[in-house]
Amino acid sequence: MALASFGAASVLLPVVALFVRAPWSRLGGALSGVGASTALRLSIEVSLAATAISVVVGVPLAWVLARGEFPGRNLLRAVVVLPIVLPPVVGGVGLLVALGRSGVVGRWLHDALGLQLTFTTAGAVVATTFVSMPLVVLATEAGLRGLDRRHERAAAAMGGSPWYVFRRVTLPMVAPQLAAGAVLTWARALGEFGATITFAGNLAGRTQTMPLAIYQARQVDPGGAIVLSLILVLVSVSVLVALGGRLTGPR
Amino acid sequence: MLEAAIEVPRGDVTVAAAFSAGHDETVALLGPNGAGKTTIVEAIAGLVPTASGTIVLDDEPIHDLPPERRPIGIAFQDGVLFPHLSVLENVAFPVRARGARPRAARAHALELLGRLAPGIDPGAKPGTLSGGARQRVALARALAGTPRVLILDEPLSAVDVSARAELRALLRRTLGSFDGPRLLVTHDPVEAMTLADRVVVLEGGRITQTGTPEEIRDAPRTRYAADLVGMNLFVGRLMPLEAGVGVLEAADGVVTVPWPEGVAVEPIDDVLATLAPADVALHAARPEGSARNVIQGVVEEVAILGDRARVRLSGSPRLVAEITTGSVARMAIRTGGAVWASFKAVEIHLMVERGPTDTL
Repeated sequence: MALASFGAASVLLPVVALFVRAPWSRLGGALSGVGASTALRLSIEVSLAATAISVVVGVPLAWVLARGEFPGRNLLRAVVVLPIVLPPVVGGVGLLVALGRSGVVGRWLHDALGLQLTFTTAGAVVATTFVSMPLVVLATEAGLRGLDRRHERAAAAMGGSPWYVFRRVTLPMVAPQLAAGAVLTWARALGEFGATITFAGNLAGRTQTMPLAIYQARQVDPGGAIVLSLILVLVSVSVLVALGGRLTGPR
Repeated sequence: MLEAAIEVPRGDVTVAAAFSAGHDETVALLGPNGAGKTTIVEAIAGLVPTASGTIVLDDEPIHDLPPERRPIGIAFQDGVLFPHLSVLENVAFPVRARGARPRAARAHALELLGRLAPGIDPGAKPGTLSGGARQRVALARALAGTPRVLILDEPLSAVDVSARAELRALLRRTLGSFDGPRLLVTHDPVEAMTLADRVVVLEGGRITQTGTPEEIRDAPRTRYAADLVGMNLFVGRLMPLEAGVGVLEAADGVVTVPWPEGVAVEPIDDVLATLAPADVALHAARPEGSARNVIQGVVEEVAILGDRARVRLSGSPRLVAEITTGSVARMAIRTGGAVWASFKAVEIHLMVERGPTDTL
């Protein structure tokens, strides 16, 4: 009980401290001064885009990891999980040498297609996806592994083609795990800092998401940094409370 | 006509079976748990790969088709209904999977549910249903795709005793009216004997005997078949006789039986009773003693199985007795000879599936 209280307190204390030290008297000024609304809108757009891409690409990846029978499957899983273990800044450096203007693939993207990812919102999405996608992949893979295969076999025996069975049986049956993984992915994406600032830079209105804006504000206006932090806390908590009870709590 | 001759790897053993089912025939695959019954029907449905062999339906090979293109309807053991779909969507699934419009599929499903599962809410989720209700929905789903072969895998095993008689009657009607070959997987000899036209006995991944229920009862080829399939089976109306005793009026004779405990003393229709052949004693002359059932008969057949002999008697009712080969020699039992049989009422095992009558 004492340990649980200590655990809860260690999470709560920084949040409470933010409330205590917030410059409540000059809230309006602090908000407009640090470009809060621009950064918040960008944060939400980037995190949602990264979550959408993670689900679209991550579900097939989870399927391959859960159902595929091929040599090197465990290696593939290790590679997929790597961004969770790596410091995000390392991911940013990796992305830079891969997709930067003079990177291995980035050079070709730039010369042949005129595409540049660094210092663009698209680049921020790429960096954020890189870091947060493993969460939805792992959750969905666990869901697929825990599935009772008899239902899919029954569906095939009932005349369902493999794609029809996936769409109407497999996917709905792993939906709870997939949704929980998507929420975790989104939460991770909202807080992404290291890979984004390294790969996409810190340009207000283009790549400066909330964590980056907070980092910058802290150097010139500590009060503004606190206000921005509080906004991020508020958004995260309200989304997790709205969804979390249903997705991660007991059903 | 369904003809299967297949070898299916399953773990360390290979299940091998060759059998057929006629167009209007119900064939039971009967065997103990682990005999390979389910493996065989799953191979026929294309759900497990076969090592070799052919599966031919009406002269058309189907063993190379993927499962979704085989015209087979299965009611799986325990139902295996889709937990996230309503009862209605479960039954509509095979229709929609084959490309029908959702509205037409649901109409077809509603019609089937009304016939096979009346009183079950089509909007309910399978998780809220009883075992018997789930099996009815599974049966409707198996028929929904208008298959040409119907397979029922242990349709009564997850159903509690009180719902069994009614479901058994529904199964008999459904099997009887299905236009095509039907396979019934079961480990329950009574189920096989009462629902099937022909029985395929499976043991350890091999077919040990094939025949009509009567043929297997009269001359079982293995110990398993003798012990489980080779029972004397009486079906008929149970009438009270005296305190604690009743008579079962079977089609070919009357036997005296103990009145089942906890069952109201009144006539009951469709009662099943079994009697182990080893509990039937044979005598050269009319026996003295306490046995309630004494029947005179003529020996129709003597089948030897190891050191035991099964003696089939014509009489009222017809009986099979199992005695030692020594007794056969001592009593000079031979085909065509007259013999007396006796058995105690308490040796008869009654299956009154309705349970105690409700007091209203």
